[in-house]
Amino acid sequence: MGKLIAARLWQLVFVMFLLSLLTFTLMKLAPGDPVMLILDTEELAVTQADEEALRKELGFDQPLITQYASWLFQLMKLDMGESYIKGKPVLDELIQRLPATIQLAVGGMLVMVLIAAPLGILAAKYPGRWPDHVSRLFALIGASIPSFWLGLLLIYVFAYQWKWLPTMGKGGLSSFILPSLTLGFAMAAVYSRLLRTGLLESLSQEYIRAARARGIAEWRIMTKHALRAALLPVLTVFGMSMGNLLAGQVVIETLFSWPGLGGMIVEAIFQRDYPIVQGYVLFTGFFVVVVNLLVDLTYSLLDPRIRFGKGGV
Amino acid sequence: MFSVKKVKRKKSLLLSLLLATGMLLTACGQQEAPNPSIAGEVEKGGQKKAKMIIHFKTGSLDPHNSFYPLKFGVTETLVRMDENLEVKPWLASKWEAIDERTWTFTIRDGVTFQDGTKLDAAAAKASFERGVAASPALARALKIASMKASGQELTIVTTEPHPSLPSELVNPFASVVQVEAEKQMGTEAFNLAPVGTGPFKVKQFQPNVKADLVRYDGYWDGKAKLDEIEIAFNEDGNVRAMALQSKEADIVYQIPAEMVSVIQQDPELRVESVPSLRVHFLLYNQQKPLLQDNRVRRAIDLLLDRNSIVNDILLGNATAANGPFHHRLPFGSEDEVRKPNSAEAIKLLEEAGYQRNAEGKWMKDGEPLSMQIITYKGRPELPLIAQLLQSEAAKIGLVMEIKTVENVDQYLRDHQDWDVATYSNSTSPRGDGGFYLNSAFMPGGSLNPINLANENLIQVVTQLNATADIQQRVKLTQQAVDVINREVLHSFLVYPNMIVGVNNRILNWKPGAEDYYYINNKMDVK
Repeated sequence: MGKLIAARLWQLVFVMFLLSLLTFTLMKLAPGDPVMLILDTEELAVTQADEEALRKELGFDQPLITQYASWLFQLMKLDMGESYIKGKPVLDELIQRLPATIQLAVGGMLVMVLIAAPLGILAAKYPGRWPDHVSRLFALIGASIPSFWLGLLLIYVFAYQWKWLPTMGKGGLSSFILPSLTLGFAMAAVYSRLLRTGLLESLSQEYIRAARARGIAEWRIMTKHALRAALLPVLTVFGMSMGNLLAGQVVIETLFSWPGLGGMIVEAIFQRDYPIVQGYVLFTGFFVVVVNLLVDLTYSLLDPRIRFGKGGV
Repeated sequence: MFSVKKVKRKKSLLLSLLLATGMLLTACGQQEAPNPSIAGEVEKGGQKKAKMIIHFKTGSLDPHNSFYPLKFGVTETLVRMDENLEVKPWLASKWEAIDERTWTFTIRDGVTFQDGTKLDAAAAKASFERGVAASPALARALKIASMKASGQELTIVTTEPHPSLPSELVNPFASVVQVEAEKQMGTEAFNLAPVGTGPFKVKQFQPNVKADLVRYDGYWDGKAKLDEIEIAFNEDGNVRAMALQSKEADIVYQIPAEMVSVIQQDPELRVESVPSLRVHFLLYNQQKPLLQDNRVRRAIDLLLDRNSIVNDILLGNATAANGPFHHRLPFGSEDEVRKPNSAEAIKLLEEAGYQRNAEGKWMKDGEPLSMQIITYKGRPELPLIAQLLQSEAAKIGLVMEIKTVENVDQYLRDHQDWDVATYSNSTSPRGDGGFYLNSAFMPGGSLNPINLANENLIQVVTQLNATADIQQRVKLTQQAVDVINREVLHSFLVYPNMIVGVNNRILNWKPGAEDYYYINNKMDVK
């Protein structure tokens, strides 16, 4: 266990270094920089000489490697720098946005579990019969509906027609419902099918037959024996999609004015706000590696074969 | 080999980790505001409230780096624009140019900041010092060399002759704030709730979500009629429109043009469509010999039907343009809007030495004539204008190809493969044409990617830059517009409108063309 964690920590450093180098290079290669925005050339009389002076001041005229090295050096001192556009420390901006993103992710996951678990279990319990068909139909719809359209539809029904919930904003519990539903719905489609496949696989195992032979109640076999093994692939996919869950909420954030990380990063990329982009990439890299480590650790809880180092995965 | 005990310990470790994460999340959740208030009604106890939704979001209310404190009626500037877009006194009751580099501003008596302290010249000076330090853009615009404060008299000396200083002070970045309050609150807190002199103060600001404003009872120009205003940010036009239709919001900025007729059908709602200070135009790459020829530029100009752009592309929410500045501005052009005339365009191309071959395509010296139009998606109507130009050009046998780029400003500067670009600029943001003429037509200006250098125009603009008298400036700006139109330096097409949806319960409120003053003390609800 200790070895695993140590190896992962090394991996973390390596992944983050590679990620930062790659994003830095790509961002710098992309045309444009934030100078015109900083000087507000849209509204203020600015000359190209002013722009050049600022470019020089910000070090944009230096070779790429020098720019990267100075950023890295700054990072060694645990300083992620300041946003060019907002003039705020990058860390503050990340910390300010993170809670909203995590809350929405948790809300979405809750909705996902509430829909996917019963659908997946029922579909596996009655394969080829109507619960399975309903689950398949749901998965098809869920995977095909783009989230911006689903979000608009939900706003139309619940906020405009029935006036039950607010259209936008982040306040009390009521403001969580529509964004969580929008996010959870699409996720549930994938996970319900994944759970069904996993369950069918584990239900055909010998130990399940043995359990049945011993007269253990069917629901107990399902929840205690089959579900545990079926959760392994679900968890793996979950760990891998964590990064997407952090950044992939842009559409939902825009629709519902949700102040999360997705909106921040898209804005920063358009504005070429390099420090924010770099900080964000480091942060998500860290998050994804840590979550995947946690997922690996959870395997051993779920599957005794991994725990005791016998056979299996 | 693991022992069962060890496994149990690890299990409980993981469980407690999960529990801790859960608690953290709950804690984060508790920091948030309670239920969002639904506007659309006068609250119990006679409290008058309104809710506005705007199309941009902001993460900060730093008065010198964000327009929003001014837009929200929290801060004010020394001078402002009136509804005719003329510069008028505001926190300064009058001003005077002592010599070409020295100005005195008389700060209005009886104005207090929202913390109750008096606004005098010293406070205004401290505010400008903060602004210039916090915003490189403001520092370059004001060009302040030194300031002196004495009672209500503020003297500003600029680094060079700066006749448009009063107009530059209309800039929201030049907001006057109480710097002493910042010292007490700390910069971070101040940038979430700046202390200005406006009719409303910030009650609570949720970055990128909304700002709750509450009336400042000591406002110098008369207490505001409304008690509270909520301003929410949402970047999706359809969602904003639905919030207006559901009566959750009272005022909604930038309604999508296709939603206008739906909203107009609701008797409780109205749509205000006002011309903005922006203009959409064609930029000709005059670094290429092809477009250095005035006749070719004029021929392209004659291909486009400006009224068709207004009606078919912008669904009526625009005005056909006759120059860089809207004709209702004092320095706007009085010329007629140019009408399309393809016969005349053909004649001009022939005069320029182009001939059509047997297939009807234009040739000169054995070379076919083909042009590249650059457009970008930032403003959805611009690619449509490019398509319209392409199809009109095709009708007379002129081949044009469209290329969509992501960063248009950079592309126009770094590439030479383009001929025409659809472009858009805000041309008179502070009620003065000087900014745009300098930025877009003087060599080295930041909005002049082709480094246009027209001798006649440079002469007029140089004279304008040395003139302080307002009437003189208007005349010189008109002269510059004449040169621009005569030489077809750009083809100005339309002034797009700002479309704002309003609930009829809102009284005494109209959106302004300047797009600066969203909130005032006069607005009220039924």
